Amino acid sequence: MRTTRARLTQLLGLFAVLTLIVAGCGAGGGGASGDIDLSGAELTVGSKEFTEQLILGQITLQVLENAGATVNDQIGLAGSVAARKALESGEIDMYWEYTGTGWITYLGHTDPIPNRQKQFEAVAKEDLKKNDIKWLSPPAPANNTYTMAVRSEAYDKLGVKKLSDFKQLVEENPKEATVCVGTEFSTRDDGLPGMEKAYDFEFPKGNVVKIDEGLIYQQTDKGEQCNFGEVFQTDGRIQALDLELVEDDKSFFPIYNPALNVSKEVIEENPQIAKLFAPISKKLTTEELQKLNAKVDVDGQLEDQVAEEWLKENGFI
Amino acid sequence: MTSQTKTSTGLGSAARLLRYLGMPIFLGLACAALYLYVGIHGLDSIEQRSLNANILIQQTARLLELAVVSTAIVVTLSVTTGILLTRPFARRVSPFVIGLANIGQAVPSIGVLAFLAIAWTIGFWPCIVALVAYSFLSILRNTMVGLRQVDRSTIEAARGMGMTKMAVLFRIELPLSVPIILAGIRTALIINVGTATLGTFIGAGGLGESINNAIRLDRTVVLVTASGLTAILALSIDWLAGVAEDILRPKGL
Repeated sequence: MRTTRARLTQLLGLFAVLTLIVAGCGAGGGGASGDIDLSGAELTVGSKEFTEQLILGQITLQVLENAGATVNDQIGLAGSVAARKALESGEIDMYWEYTGTGWITYLGHTDPIPNRQKQFEAVAKEDLKKNDIKWLSPPAPANNTYTMAVRSEAYDKLGVKKLSDFKQLVEENPKEATVCVGTEFSTRDDGLPGMEKAYDFEFPKGNVVKIDEGLIYQQTDKGEQCNFGEVFQTDGRIQALDLELVEDDKSFFPIYNPALNVSKEVIEENPQIAKLFAPISKKLTTEELQKLNAKVDVDGQLEDQVAEEWLKENGFI
Repeated sequence: MTSQTKTSTGLGSAARLLRYLGMPIFLGLACAALYLYVGIHGLDSIEQRSLNANILIQQTARLLELAVVSTAIVVTLSVTTGILLTRPFARRVSPFVIGLANIGQAVPSIGVLAFLAIAWTIGFWPCIVALVAYSFLSILRNTMVGLRQVDRSTIEAARGMGMTKMAVLFRIELPLSVPIILAGIRTALIINVGTATLGTFIGAGGLGESINNAIRLDRTVVLVTASGLTAILALSIDWLAGVAEDILRPKGL
């Protein structure tokens, strides 16, 4: 009995000390978020596994911590579906998702909406109604859409500057019409099949190489197996490897604006979160994200440092 | 039923028949179940692009090609190496070679694939190299264990009868170690079917394409079908290898 009691007292003592430490840390917040106070809130931030998502996750985490919230780090979940499932099941409270992905992958639509604002409104409305997920407005202006890239040395020689130029290349010089794509892109309606249909051409059989998206940039730069590559517009490697983008002159590709997704329950409990992230979201343009991504992918900096630097530069923390 | 031996051979052949027929029947049923499962689902356009006979046959054939070519190469390499390493003159180098083979198996295949894609090229052959590196150890080890467990006195008797070293190797040592070597090859084939699905990341094709795609786009029907076909392929190969093992095993063992 005595030992049990002694142990209990010890545990209680330990608990009290821990509480003091945690409280002390919480009180240390504050800063540029000014009047928004989230102290007492415990939030879990998630993200997908690629660079841009890791940076966006870090930005979110640091801003919330700065506003006094206790934040759990679940940044870097493997893939879109993993992140989405985690949000639906309440394992995470928020992550950044792209309007086009929400519309096509999660809500199961096959045709994107070509207007940026309408696409956002449609996905936000349907997702809130069906799945209790709140898309915070406004979405970031950055558009992380698919696009075709080619190494700059071959840009003039191949003569494909707009997607509608592919038709001519395929007819006159099919051997040069080689392309590296991710498997996902090769089956999506808003990917290769749709692009070929919209621009009325088809890559010759055997000229479509399917590889991991991460390897496409380097393979496109090499130009051995493929002259063209499917890339994401906000990727930092486009500039670093000096790749030229092929213009989507018929605006075929959907719009992928990132917006913070928060579960309905959490946003209702902490409505200030929306106010906290609105100015940050506005600041995230395509150029800005390319720069942030390049700092990690090209210069080898760490995501949390890149995020912190950017937040401080812009006066968000 | 009169003697012990007769009973066991009688039962053995019945059990063997069941084993020979049981697996194909089970795999046939699994295929039919997959077909029905896909049939009752309404497929959207993304699923249709993955789940059509053309694509599935092409991807299954590619996966088989990757597994068979890599296994053929690795069997040639590792059985030869295994024989050389068990000869007396190679006693010094053998720990070194086994160490290398260990590294090949310890390094994650996905890392080897990514490295080869960046340092060399993409497509079929880098994937074969990765698979060979990965499965080299299991056959090498089994070859060496197989050759070493052959009774020394049998070998000495053969030498005493005037057989050359070569004749002893091919007529005594190798036949006696066939069951263990074949077990290693069987394991390597199965490992290679599974690992070959990673080839999709570097443009080697195969059912991994559909699996990877299904995970990313959350299409359960595609995921179940492609993974199911991979498993069916692995089990079919395992079954074939089992039959081969029975045929190739020397009588009396």
